[in-house]
Amino acid sequence: MIAEETLVQELQREESRAKAFEVLVNTYKERLYWHIRRIVLDHDDTDDVLQNTFIKVYRNIDKFKGESKLYSWMYRIATNESLTFLKQKSRKMGVSDQELKDKMVENLQADVYFEGDEIQLKLQKALATLPDKQKLVFTMKYFQEMKYKDIAVALETSEGALKASYHLAVKKIEAYLKEN
Amino acid sequence: MKKDKKNSFNTPEGYFESFNDRLMDRIQKEDSKEGGSIIPKTDGFEVPDGYFDEVTPRVLSQINNDPKVITLQSNKHFYYGIAAAAAILIFVFSITWDSNKEPITFDDLANAEIEAYFENTDLEMTTYEIAEVVSLEEIELNDILQNDLDDEIIMEYLDENVDNIEELNLEDIDYE
Repeated sequence: MIAEETLVQELQREESRAKAFEVLVNTYKERLYWHIRRIVLDHDDTDDVLQNTFIKVYRNIDKFKGESKLYSWMYRIATNESLTFLKQKSRKMGVSDQELKDKMVENLQADVYFEGDEIQLKLQKALATLPDKQKLVFTMKYFQEMKYKDIAVALETSEGALKASYHLAVKKIEAYLKEN
Repeated sequence: MKKDKKNSFNTPEGYFESFNDRLMDRIQKEDSKEGGSIIPKTDGFEVPDGYFDEVTPRVLSQINNDPKVITLQSNKHFYYGIAAAAAILIFVFSITWDSNKEPITFDDLANAEIEAYFENTDLEMTTYEIAEVVSLEEIELNDILQNDLDDEIIMEYLDENVDNIEELNLEDIDYE
């Protein structure tokens, strides 16, 4: 795999940009896909958001200063794109954020790309009750096995706050699963 | 069977001898249950076959087809020209406008635009953030309501929804 630093340099040079961008898409598409999918839940919506994310990355690569890892920076863009997508969707449908989340989980039952059993559906129901930040931290840590340090950059918060959010999320989810 | 000296309760043979082992067993069992957690390890999402192979060309084609952004700066004079022509047109149009019809004023346009902007733009501001920039002293209740509320309706609402009217601290208001 190409070193991140070299990739960034190539992306920022006009003549090597196209080739480097292809490498970037191939390297990160799966990780970003799963991150977005866990926020927007539906495959087609994820596909839209994933493409928007890469286009934003392409347009803004000159603004990337290298202070954080490229992949944390892309996670930040993917997170913002996903949350904005959901807000726009709820506005278009004329429902509240919570109503949309409940509807998204409901739709999973008929989703051909959701193979979860009862417990996994319950998990999604539990996740829908959490505040956005707690849900994000939980999925990034538990399913994507990211380090707190990287999550902190992606979500623009301190590691301490993240750890607290994660433990709170685990407790709430466990309580929900036990109760229901 | 062991017999307690002070009462007549009995325990099964070897109960106390095996108690430690059984307790440790149970602790271990609960620990492993917790270690595995009741939260499932996977979340059941799947992708269509071959999706990751075909997404790269789709993203790349979008980048290539995307028209280049033309900066306003380079076409400054061109836009000045258009603006001037538009201004003249609007002026001519406004003086020939049928004055019997109620003309659309700037205020109407501005409000509609502003409303559309708030409706369609994600401000990413929480209620608290909005409250910070809008001072409560400067606004009246009717500024934020589309229809004026009659006192009667307010009283009816309070009557139906407030259990204890004393809690509202309305002592200073003269009801008569």
